[in-house]
Amino acid sequence: MSPRSLIALVFAAACLGFGFAAAATYDFAAHLDRQVHNLHCSFIPGLSSSPGGAEGCQVTLMSPYSSLFRQSFWGGIPVSLLAMSVFAALCALTGLMLLLRAERERAALSSLLLLASIPVAASLVMGSIAAFKLHVACKQCIGIYLASAVIGVGALLAQRADLRLAGGRDTEASRRWLWAVPLTALLLVVLTTSYVLAMPSYEHVSKGCGVLTQAEDPHGVFIRLPATAPGARKAIEIFDPLCPACKAFEERLVASGLDKRLERELLLFPLDKTCNWMVDSSLHPGSCAISAAVLCAGNRAKEVIDWAFASQREFEQRAAADKDAPAQLLTQRFPELATCMNSAVTKARLAQSLRWAVKNRVPVLTPQLYIDKQRLCDEDTDLGLEYTLAHMLGGAAQ
Amino acid sequence: MKAAIIGIVAAAFVIPTGLVVRWVSSAGERLHAAETTPNDAAAVATAEAADEEYCTPQLKLVLRRVLKSCGLLASGEVRGCQPADAKQVATLAGGDFNALFLPMAERAGVVEFEQNSAVLDENAKHLVDKLFTDQRGASYFLVVARASPEGAAEHNRELSKQRAEAVMQYLRDKYHDPDLDREVGLLWLGEEFAQLDQRFCEWQRSGAADGCKRENLNRSAFISWIDCQL
Repeated sequence: MSPRSLIALVFAAACLGFGFAAAATYDFAAHLDRQVHNLHCSFIPGLSSSPGGAEGCQVTLMSPYSSLFRQSFWGGIPVSLLAMSVFAALCALTGLMLLLRAERERAALSSLLLLASIPVAASLVMGSIAAFKLHVACKQCIGIYLASAVIGVGALLAQRADLRLAGGRDTEASRRWLWAVPLTALLLVVLTTSYVLAMPSYEHVSKGCGVLTQAEDPHGVFIRLPATAPGARKAIEIFDPLCPACKAFEERLVASGLDKRLERELLLFPLDKTCNWMVDSSLHPGSCAISAAVLCAGNRAKEVIDWAFASQREFEQRAAADKDAPAQLLTQRFPELATCMNSAVTKARLAQSLRWAVKNRVPVLTPQLYIDKQRLCDEDTDLGLEYTLAHMLGGAAQ
Repeated sequence: MKAAIIGIVAAAFVIPTGLVVRWVSSAGERLHAAETTPNDAAAVATAEAADEEYCTPQLKLVLRRVLKSCGLLASGEVRGCQPADAKQVATLAGGDFNALFLPMAERAGVVEFEQNSAVLDENAKHLVDKLFTDQRGASYFLVVARASPEGAAEHNRELSKQRAEAVMQYLRDKYHDPDLDREVGLLWLGEEFAQLDQRFCEWQRSGAADGCKRENLNRSAFISWIDCQL
């Protein structure tokens, strides 16, 4: 393949990568309105995904790895925005190389190789996170990884072809191509600054959405999770051990590191009509039994909760055939809790948990987090979690 | 050629920046619109006590009067039910009064006492424990005590009061529940009003299963959580 063909290939891959990165940034930016949106999760940039086909992109988007500086800006600066900058720069560089027939300019090829190494390295890092931490495949991301790989290989082959032919030009004039790298950095700064300046104000979100009127726990039904950082604030979390949103919330909270600054008291609120009269159907069958076990577990409560979170998918599958399956799985794993979790006293304690929610007239949904009695808005429990929580904690400390 | 170069470099800056600013700005506009326009459709249910179908207006009226006579619906500070005239509390015929509780067959129980006694035996305590710990979404625990017709009416009224208070004292001693004084309503009917008939032999009782007689049924305290909102 001739150097010119290789540059043309890199140009095409960079434009494709730009398309994927732009679609990902568009999806991310759409969520800045604190609402729920469909994603463009497809191997064709910008094409809407089929129903249910966006799970990988959804998980990736909502993960703490999708953006940077989350505590400083609502949602943070999306990584895809940085990718847009680099792909746009690569498009421009290779476009100019084709236009000016500079495919054998050594400085141009060096700049290209240097810039190409950025998406390649970023793809390796992000791909590893997706594979080993998030365990999902995001089509948009795969598009970016493939484009990056083609760019990397193309740039490398073009460089090697130049060395092999030993005819590369290296003149004073050709050194102008080295401007490509600082110009890319400038583009990155311009794009990031524009993004931040265009963002709406989120200062009001730290005021929360409602307050608790009777936050005391006279019946001793809270599960206490001690804070690990000094100066932690009191927080009450209402949750259901079989609620996937609660599990995802817990993961985001831990990943943010802000859980260390919270002295959390957990209130069990199973969305299972077996014990919860406030729901017409069991959204999470078996949740009452698991909640009872958590109440019985004493200082091992966190262990039971973590196990329940980790086993949610298995519970869901088995509960479809047998609604008692979660309780059976639990007693196999924690046989010492079996007697207590079926006792009248534990049922009464669980009812007291639910009645605490009645006293405070909280919404019938999970999860809910209250910082010093002030409720974190539902709209801020995913992308905006770190920003809002950091501001609420900051506000509470004042 | 120079213009083309400038054009390509400028496009690399202008196109992504323009797109990003447009996307972020429009999200900001939607955010502003959502915050200034109330959206009733998004309202989420609020946690509240149970309110079952059996909570007829007549049952609620009786419940309200009982709770009021115990000081539960006033300031919430005063505890101790007044010896109200049962007929006045119910404003119903005895049979109609008992019929109000028939839908609670699964929820309620009859705690039986020895003749001329207000002492809870072990079976009685067990039944009280079983029913009291199964509160679920109920807001009020009703204790309706009675006496069988042997003896003077005045004595039986006092005896039924003692039976109601024995249940309350047992709950106090056993559960130390700070909500008890806001949740338990006592009513004593003596021998004069709403005596239980044989139908209640089928209910959960603390007395012997094979010896259900009408007089045993009425040496009792009927207890139940009431799943009604007032």
